[in-house]
Amino acid sequence: MRAYFGEFGGQYVAETLLPALEELEDAFNRACQDKRFNNELVSLMGDYVGRPTPMTHAKRLSEHFGLNVWLKREDLCHTGAHKINNAIGQILLARFMGKKRIIAETGAGQHGVATATACALFGLECHVYMGEEDIRRQHTNVERMRLLGAEVIPVKAGSATLKDAVSEAIRDWISNVDTTYYLLGSAVGPHPYPTMVRYFQSVIGNEAKKQILEKKGSLPDAVIACVGGGSNAIGIFSAFVDDPVELIGVEAYGKGDGMHAASISFGTPGVLHGAYSFLLQDEDGQVLPTHSIAPGLDYPGVGPEHSWLSATGRASYVLVDDKEALDAYALLNRLEGINPALESAHAIAYLATYALRNKGKTVIINLSGRGDKDLDIVLEAGI
Amino acid sequence: MIARSIRKSSYPVIPYITAGLPDLDTTGKILGALAAAGAPAMEVGIPFSDPTADGPVLQQASNLALNAGFTMDSFFHNLIKWCSSIPMPIIVMTYINPLIRMGMERALSRIKDSGVSGIIIPDLPRDASGVYRMCSSMGLDLIRLIAPTTGRQRAKEILSQCSGFVYAVSVMGVTGPRDELPDGLVKQVDSIKELTSIPVCVGFGVSKKAQVNGLLDVADGVIVGSYLVSNIMSSPDPVKAVTDAYMGLVG
Ligand SMILES: Cc1ncc(COP(=O)(O)O)c(C=O)c1O
Repeated sequence: MRAYFGEFGGQYVAETLLPALEELEDAFNRACQDKRFNNELVSLMGDYVGRPTPMTHAKRLSEHFGLNVWLKREDLCHTGAHKINNAIGQILLARFMGKKRIIAETGAGQHGVATATACALFGLECHVYMGEEDIRRQHTNVERMRLLGAEVIPVKAGSATLKDAVSEAIRDWISNVDTTYYLLGSAVGPHPYPTMVRYFQSVIGNEAKKQILEKKGSLPDAVIACVGGGSNAIGIFSAFVDDPVELIGVEAYGKGDGMHAASISFGTPGVLHGAYSFLLQDEDGQVLPTHSIAPGLDYPGVGPEHSWLSATGRASYVLVDDKEALDAYALLNRLEGINPALESAHAIAYLATYALRNKGKTVIINLSGRGDKDLDIVLEAGI
Repeated sequence: MIARSIRKSSYPVIPYITAGLPDLDTTGKILGALAAAGAPAMEVGIPFSDPTADGPVLQQASNLALNAGFTMDSFFHNLIKWCSSIPMPIIVMTYINPLIRMGMERALSRIKDSGVSGIIIPDLPRDASGVYRMCSSMGLDLIRLIAPTTGRQRAKEILSQCSGFVYAVSVMGVTGPRDELPDGLVKQVDSIKELTSIPVCVGFGVSKKAQVNGLLDVADGVIVGSYLVSNIMSSPDPVKAVTDAYMGLVG
């Protein structure tokens, strides 16, 4: 398996972890070929996660923008976001490897909830690292994780958000690598994580392509997804990469200048959390603080495959700020009766810009999650 | 130069300190005092925003140094002074990103030109041959780490691209003082020594004189970091505090 996407990716980790990454890659390769593993994955995706998720034609939203908009409904997955696809896939892998102690990081709490859910399903011990700022912002998800039997470990370091939670999970893994499976939640980190997470999330794109061909009879003009670490985006992009379809990743522009999380738009290549990829960093190579109203997008790095898709020009990466995302959150509620996660609302918000030059075109939005978790933030913002 | 200095030392304990803690002037004074106290070589760490291989002590040290205004420019400005005034080899320890940001080749040659003898990068890519080639063509030692989890084949590969000394990581974990070191450590050091003629130095977790004594029976040197750095952070007179702590380990 290739460890790099062009120059991006690789394994920049403490020597202690290298054998564990090798073991993981080997197990993943074997699992992909294993009939029982794949059968179990498919059956859980259907009977437990609730796949395939629907493709909804958003009629009033389409009218509003003068576009033909379809929503891939990952918000209807069990636990409320696409994160469960990867969590179930990796938990099966952890079992395949005989690991009994599971650790994870979480930002919005969706990956934490998904991991805690998968652990409950199989009776595995679960520890989730979460920044204190995110614990405050996404409190309902913290309570959900506790109900599911997981331990939520607050991270105070740095900006107390997703980046620091990942760092702390890596430290735990270095210390307990013999017994522990690190269930990373996005398409970031050292090889083989970006490839593995794409594999488990590619179900989104595969379904979406089949559904749009059935329902509309042709490919869409564009596929749009929000990009935090990039797992929901790579999951839906993966099915369309070789097709004449525009791929658009939406990065969080936060409060604008210097207060955002738009790694590809404003970053430079560097190494964070084990991979070489675009990174928000200063001139000395220190990682910069980030801001987004959507906790799941509040991360200074991005998956290496997105850096490569951007560098090669295959996908483009655009900006949506906090206010636009909040407005889109409200808009989708009003026009379609669908409450999107603030992360996913970034993808919706980009339609306004996209529509300016693309009237009448057909787009699929990856609606990566539902927005119940964000009510406090949205009310606080006065929407 | 590093290997020779370690071999010559009667009590080869190599201190690690974080640069810019509490400020770069003090770092210079600490290095001078540790050299006078007999340190055979000294590791100076470049603070980093996201030190994933470090425990709480060195994380806090990085944070404090960065908040106190550490910059690469001021670091290089001081590094030249330290290297020219201190007779013992200085080793720079840094995460890879600050080097990548500056451009790997340019960063390594700036470090070399400052008078530094060796470099330790805890998050080198799996295939580090490019970095090793640059270092060896400049005459900069690339000190590599071998972990308790490292297999024999990988250890050989590492040792074929390693000079100065090889850093045997004592514990499965991040940096930080431990009350006890693992039982398998002696065997681990012995098995590395079978594979190489360069000095094998043990680090991570060491904070007690008894641990140092025990390790020096098997290893060619011992590295002490978090213990010394915590003394820097907890005292109003960091130069004295860290020198006393160091003397307490070797005296
Ligand atoms: C609903 C939702 N969408 C998107 C994201 C962003 O992650 P990624 O870019 O990996 O899809 C998150 C992360 O928490 C999320 O919860």
